[in-house]
Amino acid sequence: MVNENELIRMEHISKYFGRVRALDDVTLAVNKSEIVGLLGDNGAGKSTLIKILSGALRSDSGDIYIDGRKANIRNTTDAIAYGIETIYQDSALVTQLSIARNIFMGREPIIGPGFLNRMDQAAMNDAARDLLKQVGITKNIPPATPISALSGGERQAVAIARALHFESELIVLDEPTNNLGVEETQGVLRFVRAARDSGHSCIFIAHNIYHVFQVVDRIVVLRGGKKVADDIDPKTTTIEAVEKIITGLVGVTPA
Amino acid sequence: MEPRTFLQRLLARPEFGPFVLLVGEIIVFTLMAPSFLSTGNISNLLAFTPELGMIALGMTMLMTSGEFDLSVGSVFGFAPIIMWTLYNTGATSLEVGFIAGMLMAVVVGFANGWFVTKLKIPSFLVTLGMLLVVRGTALYLTDGFPQGRWSADSPLMDIIVGDFYIGQLRIFTSLLWFIFFALILGYILTQTKFGNWIQAAGGNASAASARGVRVARTKVILFILTSVMAAFAGIVSSIRVSSANPNSGTGYELEVIAMVVIGGTALNGGRGTIIGTVLGVLILRLMRNGIVMVGVPGLAYNIFIGAIILAMMSLHSWLERRHHAGT
Repeated sequence: MVNENELIRMEHISKYFGRVRALDDVTLAVNKSEIVGLLGDNGAGKSTLIKILSGALRSDSGDIYIDGRKANIRNTTDAIAYGIETIYQDSALVTQLSIARNIFMGREPIIGPGFLNRMDQAAMNDAARDLLKQVGITKNIPPATPISALSGGERQAVAIARALHFESELIVLDEPTNNLGVEETQGVLRFVRAARDSGHSCIFIAHNIYHVFQVVDRIVVLRGGKKVADDIDPKTTTIEAVEKIITGLVGVTPA
Repeated sequence: MEPRTFLQRLLARPEFGPFVLLVGEIIVFTLMAPSFLSTGNISNLLAFTPELGMIALGMTMLMTSGEFDLSVGSVFGFAPIIMWTLYNTGATSLEVGFIAGMLMAVVVGFANGWFVTKLKIPSFLVTLGMLLVVRGTALYLTDGFPQGRWSADSPLMDIIVGDFYIGQLRIFTSLLWFIFFALILGYILTQTKFGNWIQAAGGNASAASARGVRVARTKVILFILTSVMAAFAGIVSSIRVSSANPNSGTGYELEVIAMVVIGGTALNGGRGTIIGTVLGVLILRLMRNGIVMVGVPGLAYNIFIGAIILAMMSLHSWLERRHHAGT
């Protein structure tokens, strides 16, 4: 049962909203340096599962293990401390503030005597410039640019850069390609591959199966709050076959 | 990002609009009433301006974090009442009375912050309630009468609001306090980690707290700061005019908020500027003074203030929209 290569295991997770069962005994594991695609129709339970992992919701039953040890995730701050970074569509950035100030928000480096509380803005800007390059932004965007001046794809890149810098072990991307153009979508997919190549794991959630197929190592499918497939290899499976599993036209779980 | 010229960068700064307005105002008033720039008039202006200005500095920090405080006017009135009542009745020395007045402000600020952050009540309602509580307490304790003239002789009075002359120009030390606080708060807002937390709390509180920013604590500290600045300003004012009136400071909350937003700080948080507030303070104080100098009836003052607020808000929203047009 113990898998050396396993980073995170959510075990027997159930969640009720009143009398509606949103999740029913779902178990999901992610290995190190693995990109897992989480698919399912609207209301299948993807978002609920991810909110439990990122600390935005608490499960009614079930446990989460990180590196084999049981984790107690009570809120989003806990999740970040455990190395789980969740990137939502709107990226949870402060749009009035600069790229550098957003990347270091809450963990700003200090320079000089402590009581002066002076932010090391030069170091922040330098690190931000390097990070933007690392996630594949080739355009020369000054790190002092406010987020409000960036496109949707660039905002996702900033959020991913933040996850990379603080060495998050697991990056959860919730619909990161929604509302993005073709070019920007390719950019986000490139950032995700870059993150995996530098040793991070990802959970990638998207409505668009084509995007998922381009980037993930393994596909997990939820339907009606239950896990119906766990081990789909995008290299050997067709998109049509996965669509059938999502919609329930084929009810079998591939071993 | 295309490279921008110096002029474009200058135009894009939120302080640019208020700066132009201030310069225009000075030119117009000087042309219409040459005595506007006389040393006597400047001394007059510099006597009262720092008092409202200090409240505005605190309010800028608080509004950047997305909250505001309507109780500042009542704290402005109540703090000197505490100090002088304690002193005049012989209960304590003036210094202890001063500390008691400031402690009252800390308690009021903490209570404001606690109601807003813990009970999640909008700051409009919390500080409106606090305004009535504090003003009511001041009136009740004094039976509505101003505290009588006193004969205090304390070095504290010189430190807080002594005066000296530069040539013909009479300067109160309150002006030096105002400059000192403006420099300190400007530094905190733009250069420090705490300043980044203030802006993050006002810009997107849930995103900030998800990153480990202590949003509630930041706001409580700023409520206390604003209240303490108002109390200090009230004590300065009472020493300068030799009277502590339980009704003084009535209506200041709105004038201060007007100064802050005219300077370019966003009413709903996330963006704040101390330089802009200093400009906003000067714009409104010069307007009040200049209107009288050029012969407009003083009662028409509010018409001009209202028009300036509307004009500045239109300018800000236009700049904002132009700024976002490209994205």
